[in-house]
Amino acid sequence: MKTIIIVLLGGLLLFSLAAFSLLPQRGRAPEQPIAFSHKIHAGDYQIPCLYCHANARRSPVAGIPSVQFCMGCHKITAADKPEVQKLQGYWNRKEPIPWIRIYDQPDFVHFSHTPHVQAGIACQQCHGPIETMDRVREAVVLTMDRCVACHQKRQASLDCVTCHK
Amino acid sequence: MEVNRRDFLKVLSIGGAAALTGCSAQAPEKLIPYLIPVEEIIPGKATWYATVCRECPAGCGMLVRTREGRAVKVEGNPDHPVNRGRLCARGQASLQGLYNPDRIRQPLLKDASGTLKPVSWDEAEAWLISRLAELLQQGKGVGITWMTPHLTGSPDRLVNQWLKILGSTRRLRYEPFAYEPIRTANRLTFGREVIPTYDLESSTVILAFGADFLETWISPVMYAREFAAMRAYKDGRMGRFIFIGPRLSLTAANADRWISVRPGTEGVLALGLVGVIVAEGLVKGLSQDEVGRIRALVDCYDFKRVSEATGVEPEEVKRLARTFAEGDPGLALGGGTAVSGPHATTTLVAINLLNYVAGNVGRTVRFGPVSTLSQLSTYREMLDLIQAMEKGQVSALFFSEVNPVFTMPKAAGFERALGKVPLVVSCSSFMDETVAKAHLVFPTHTPLESWGDVEPWEGMHGLMQPAMQPLFETKALGDLLLSLAKRLGGPPAQAFKEESFYEYLRARWRELHQRLQSDVDFETFWVEALRRGGVFEAIPAQPVRLNVQALSQVLEEPELAGQADAFVLLPYPSLVHFDGRGADRPWLQELPDPMTQLTWDNWLEVHPEDAKRHGIEEGDLLTVKSPDGEIELPAHLYAGVRPGVVAIPIGQGHTAFGRHAEGRGANPLALLPKEPEPRSGGLPWLSPQVTLARTGKKHLLASVSGSDRQFDRGIAQVIPLAELQAYAGKEPHDEHKVLQMYPPHEHPNHRWGMAIDLNACIGCGACVTACYAENNLAVVGKEEVARGREMSWIRIERYVEGPPERPETRFVPMLCQHCDNAPCEPVCPVYATVHNPEGLNIQVYNRCVGTRYCSNNCPYKVRRFNWFTYKWPEPLNLQLNPDVTVREMGVMEKCTFCVQRITEGKERAKGEGRPVRDGDIVPACAQACPTRAIVFGDLKDPESEVSRLRQNPRRYRVFEHLNTQPAITYLKRIRPSEEA
Repeated sequence: MKTIIIVLLGGLLLFSLAAFSLLPQRGRAPEQPIAFSHKIHAGDYQIPCLYCHANARRSPVAGIPSVQFCMGCHKITAADKPEVQKLQGYWNRKEPIPWIRIYDQPDFVHFSHTPHVQAGIACQQCHGPIETMDRVREAVVLTMDRCVACHQKRQASLDCVTCHK
Repeated sequence: MEVNRRDFLKVLSIGGAAALTGCSAQAPEKLIPYLIPVEEIIPGKATWYATVCRECPAGCGMLVRTREGRAVKVEGNPDHPVNRGRLCARGQASLQGLYNPDRIRQPLLKDASGTLKPVSWDEAEAWLISRLAELLQQGKGVGITWMTPHLTGSPDRLVNQWLKILGSTRRLRYEPFAYEPIRTANRLTFGREVIPTYDLESSTVILAFGADFLETWISPVMYAREFAAMRAYKDGRMGRFIFIGPRLSLTAANADRWISVRPGTEGVLALGLVGVIVAEGLVKGLSQDEVGRIRALVDCYDFKRVSEATGVEPEEVKRLARTFAEGDPGLALGGGTAVSGPHATTTLVAINLLNYVAGNVGRTVRFGPVSTLSQLSTYREMLDLIQAMEKGQVSALFFSEVNPVFTMPKAAGFERALGKVPLVVSCSSFMDETVAKAHLVFPTHTPLESWGDVEPWEGMHGLMQPAMQPLFETKALGDLLLSLAKRLGGPPAQAFKEESFYEYLRARWRELHQRLQSDVDFETFWVEALRRGGVFEAIPAQPVRLNVQALSQVLEEPELAGQADAFVLLPYPSLVHFDGRGADRPWLQELPDPMTQLTWDNWLEVHPEDAKRHGIEEGDLLTVKSPDGEIELPAHLYAGVRPGVVAIPIGQGHTAFGRHAEGRGANPLALLPKEPEPRSGGLPWLSPQVTLARTGKKHLLASVSGSDRQFDRGIAQVIPLAELQAYAGKEPHDEHKVLQMYPPHEHPNHRWGMAIDLNACIGCGACVTACYAENNLAVVGKEEVARGREMSWIRIERYVEGPPERPETRFVPMLCQHCDNAPCEPVCPVYATVHNPEGLNIQVYNRCVGTRYCSNNCPYKVRRFNWFTYKWPEPLNLQLNPDVTVREMGVMEKCTFCVQRITEGKERAKGEGRPVRDGDIVPACAQACPTRAIVFGDLKDPESEVSRLRQNPRRYRVFEHLNTQPAITYLKRIRPSEEA
C-alpha cells in the first residue's frame, strides 16, 4: 500500500516537474516600455520607495507614479538620455506608460499594502533587493506559503478572511 | 511513510496547476498609471460623492461610492432630510441604470425607411437646428412642446426659459402618478391645491385609505422611517395603524388590521367615521357652529348605511371611529390606485374632513412645506396635449425620460397622436416605447453622471453632482439645450450667458446663496452644499380653514358602476418597478415582489374563491378583457384581494426598453378607459369592468417562496402587546442551556453579531438589493430562480398566519446566522467553511470544491451554490465591488456579514489609533434598511447597541432548539391588541 502511494506521488511529482516549465515564468523580468532603473533611483540616489509609491502607506495598492510625477524631475534632469526622452514622448503625446505588471495576486486574494507598511515591513521583504535592479525581476515568488510563514513568524492574523473575502 | 494533509495537497496542487496552465498562456497584465493624477482619487481607496436619487420623484439624498473613478455602490445620504441615510431597492438599482447594457450610446436619426440610424452629435444637432429654424420661420414656434418628468430647480427653469425664447409655453411635467385627487380635494376643502406634509412620526393612530406609503406613494423611504418610529414600542405603547382598501398591499400587511372594503367605497367609510365622531362628540378643536355645519353634511351617512355600502360591520365602523378619535394626534391618509376611481376626489375630501374633525389638520397634516409634486401636469392636461397633437397644433414635441406610450392608457391614443407630430425629439438614456417613436434621439447622461438640483419639498434644495465621467458619448440635457440655443443664433443665443449647464446651475445657486447664507463667500457655500448634498431650509406651515360651503356639492354617494358578472380591476404600482421605469434593471427583476414572492414576471391576482368559481388554477394563462382592450396574463391565487376584485402590478409588459424588460407579462394600461375623473382630471386606475377567460395554456411563475405557512417552526415569531406590557422589567425566558461536547469558541477581540427587529421590518427588500450591489451577487434569470437557484445572500421570507379573513403577514429577513455551532462546518471535507476568531462563519472560495454538503446541512437554507459562471453583460461588470471576489462555477457562497467592511472599519480605526467603535462597521443590508430594523455590532462590547438589543425581552433566535447558537438575534414582532 505504502509503495503504491509513493509510486503514485513520485509519478505525480515527475509529471509536475515536467509541466512546471510550462507555468508562467517565475522570476520573470520582462522588458518594460521604458528601461527604468530602480538601481539608479532607489540605489544610487537613495530615493525612498514611498517617495514615488506614496499610496502604499494609505491604500491597498502602492500605486505607480503618474507620468506628470516623473516629468516633475525629468523635464530638466537627464533630459538628454534616450530613455528619458521616451518618457517625454509619452508626456508630449499625453499617453500613460503601459508598464508590465510583475507582482500580482489572484482575484480571490485581497492584499493591502497599508497594514504591512504600518507594521514596518521593508519593501524588500516581498519585492527583493529592488534597489540593485536595473530591470525589475520577480525576485520573490509570492505564494500563500510565504505569506503564511511570515504571518506565523510575526504572529499576525492567520484568519482566512484576512486575505480571502 | 507519513504523508500529512498539507503536503499531500501541495503535491496535488502543483500537478493540478501544471495540468491547467499547460493549455493557456496568459498575456502579461499591464499597470497603467495616471497621466496626471486626480487630486481626490487614491487608487485602491473609495471616494464618495453626494447627489440625489432620480429613480422616482421622491428626491432622496444619495452618496455614491466610487473606486478608481467608477461608481460601485449607492447609499442614502444621512444629511438629507427626506431619507436620512436610507435608500430603497430602486434607489440601490440606479447603478444598473448607469451601467445598463441597453443604454443609447450615440445620437440616432430616423431615415426615410423609418429606422433609427446612428449619427454624430454634430450632425444630429445641425439637423435639428435646420428643422427648428424652419419652424420658427413659419411662425410655428408657438407649437413647440416640452414634456419632462417631475423636474424642479435649475433643469426645470432652463427648459421653460428655452421654450419661451422659441416662443412657446407648452410645457408638461408628466408623471403617471400625479396625485390629482389629493391636490383637488385640498383646493376644495382648504383652498390650497397642493400635497401637504404628512407627519407620520408624531401620530399615534394612522388610517390609510388605499395609500401605499411604504411602497410607492409620494415619498416611501421617508414615510417608512417615520412609520417605524411611530410603531416602535416605547413606554408600554406603540402607534396603531389600520389599512382600508380592497387589496392587501405591503403597506396593508404592516397594519394592525386590514379592512377590506368594497372598491370605491373608502369615501363612504370616511364620511361614516366623521358621522360617528361628530355624533359621539369626539370632535377636537372646532367651534359649535362648525360642528353643526359638518353634522349637516354627513347626516345621511349613518353607520348602518355606511356598513351596507362598504361591507364593513356596523360595530366595526363605530369602533374604528373611536380608535381614530383617540389618536393624539391621528392621521388619515388617502390615495394610491385604489382611491382613484370615478369618485376619487370625493373620497379625499371625505378624508380631509375626517382629519379636520379629529383635530389633525395643522398637527399631522401641515400645509408647509408642501410637495413640489403639486406642480405636476394632470392626466387631463395630457389628454389635451393628445388632442392638440391630433389637430396638428403641436409643431414639435421634445421629451426627456418620460414614457407615455407605456404609462398612459392605450385608449388615450398617445401613440397614434405621436404619429401626427412632424418633429419628435427624445432626450433619454434608454430606448423605451416612446423613444422608439422619435425622429431624433439624443442620448443623455444618467443622473449619476449629471449636474443638477432637485427640490422634492419646498425649501429642500438637493444638489446633484456627477459621481463619474460619462460612460458613453452622451450629453446632459441642460448642456444640450444650451448648445442648441447657441447654434440657433440670434435671440436664443443671446438669452443664455452660460457656456455649460454647470455654470447655469451655479448661477441659480448664487441666488440661493444671496438669500440664505450671504455671510460666507459663495465658493464656501457651494463646496459645503456639494459635501452635504444640498441646502435645506425650514418652511413653516400655513394655517388653513375648512370651506364647508364648497363641500356640500362635492359629497354625494360614491358608487362604482359595473356589469354584474365583471371583476373590478385594480392595477397597482409595483414596489420593484414603480411605473415600469425599473423593469430594465436585473436586480429589480430578480427581487421578489414582497407579497407574492414572484420574480421576473407579471401576473393577475385573483381571490381563491373567485378562482374556484371560474375554474382558474395557479399559473393558468388568462385572457383579461375590458371594453378598451385585452391582455393575456397568468393567474396568481392571492387571498389578499377582495373577492370580486382582480389586481395587476404595473411595470411589466414592455415591448421595448432593453433585454431585461422586454417580453415579460403584459401591461394593464391596455385595459383602462380613457376618460379622466371629472373633478380632478386624474386617471381612474380603478376600473370596474374586466372579464376573465382561460386560454387553456399554462405559464411558469418563478416564486422564491417555499410555503406561505411556517408550520409551527417559529421562524417569524410574534408577541402579543399585552404580554410584552406584562413583562415590564422582568426577564421573559431563559436562553436554552444545553450541554456542550466541545469547548466554546474563543473570541479574543471581537464577536460580530446582529439584531433584527421584526416589529420594524416592513419587508420592502431594500436590504436584498443592497446586498446584491455590495457583494457582487449574480443575477440568474427567471428559469434558474424557478429551479430555486437564486443567489441572494439575504432574503425576506413572507409567512401568513391566522384565519383567511384576518391574515397576519410576517416578514423575516433570513441570512447566514453565523452560528457558533455551525452545522455547515463539520461536514465540509476541505475546511472551506470555518469559524473565525471574530465569530464569523467564513467561506473560503479558493478552498471550496463544491460538494454542497454544507448547504444540505444548513437548517436556515442560506447557502447559495454557483451552478454556472454567471455573466455581467458589459458594462454592468463595471459596477462590481473590487473588494469582493467574483465567484465562479462550482463554489458555494453566503453572507459574510460584509467582511470587507469589517476589515475596512478595523483598518480605519487602527489608522486613527483607536479601538473600533460601535457604528464604525455597518453591513450593506443594515445601511440600506429604511426602518433601521437591522443592527450590527460587536457582542464583546457590552455597551454596543446590538448587545443591548440581545437583552430585549422580545429576543429569540431562529431554531434555538437545534443549539446552533446563531449570532443573529431576532426581536419578535408585536401583535397589537385584538380590538382595533
